[in-house]
Amino acid sequence: MTLETGIFYGLGGLLLILSLLVVTTRNLFRGALALSTALGVMAGLFVLLGGDFLAAGQLLIYVGGVMVLILFVVMFVQTPALFRAPQTNRRWIPALVLGAGVAAVFIHIFYTVPMPEETLAPAAPTSAALGKLLLGDMAVPFEVVSLILLAALVGALVFGLEREL
Amino acid sequence: MTLAHVLILSALLFAIGVYGVLARRSLIAILMSVELMFNAANLNFVAFNHFLHPDNLWGHGIVLLVITVAAAEAVVGLALVIAIYRNTQNLNAEDLHLLHD
Repeated sequence: MTLETGIFYGLGGLLLILSLLVVTTRNLFRGALALSTALGVMAGLFVLLGGDFLAAGQLLIYVGGVMVLILFVVMFVQTPALFRAPQTNRRWIPALVLGAGVAAVFIHIFYTVPMPEETLAPAAPTSAALGKLLLGDMAVPFEVVSLILLAALVGALVFGLEREL
Repeated sequence: MTLAHVLILSALLFAIGVYGVLARRSLIAILMSVELMFNAANLNFVAFNHFLHPDNLWGHGIVLLVITVAAAEAVVGLALVIAIYRNTQNLNAEDLHLLHD
């Protein structure tokens, strides 16, 4: 077992444990903390798969931005009575069966569909090539995303205003 | 570490996200489970890029787009959560049937 595989198993196991914690814990604040750690672990997996710029973006946007927002909202709305109540609804057993079924179908597909030959490039910094790609071939999606961000900004302002719906 | 390892990890992560979306009661927990599913998809994009097409970076570019759209989704979703909480003092998904009765 190479060092790379060992790190992958470590990060992967940690990721699965943390995400199970996210969907099972009663205290939403703990769940949000587990989720932010899981997103950080995911950045480690990106580094392992050669995505250095992606890992930085994941840490900056997800762990630094989205998770702080989620933690704020959890602190706004959570009362002590809320996190002592059961956090799953009555149909959690069908949900569990469906989740296991989704995993089984995906793994079955991955094992039966023939994959092309794996070719590995040496690890190299990706940010320069990624910048050229984003402003070259991917220019249209790049601009559309800026529109989506503008719409989200306006939408968040509209919904967040202090008035009755 | 081969492609199959990463794909199985992301399948398990996605399944955990599906379970969270279906079984959790709180709207915030549902949003967090959706984030888990986004990340499972991102892991697949990066893995396919790394193992099958190492000569270009389209997988990385698409992951950047997904991260941005997920951030926008989280912002709008949390604004909605705050608006719902302010009006009903309740965030249980099963109690929100305003249009139902």
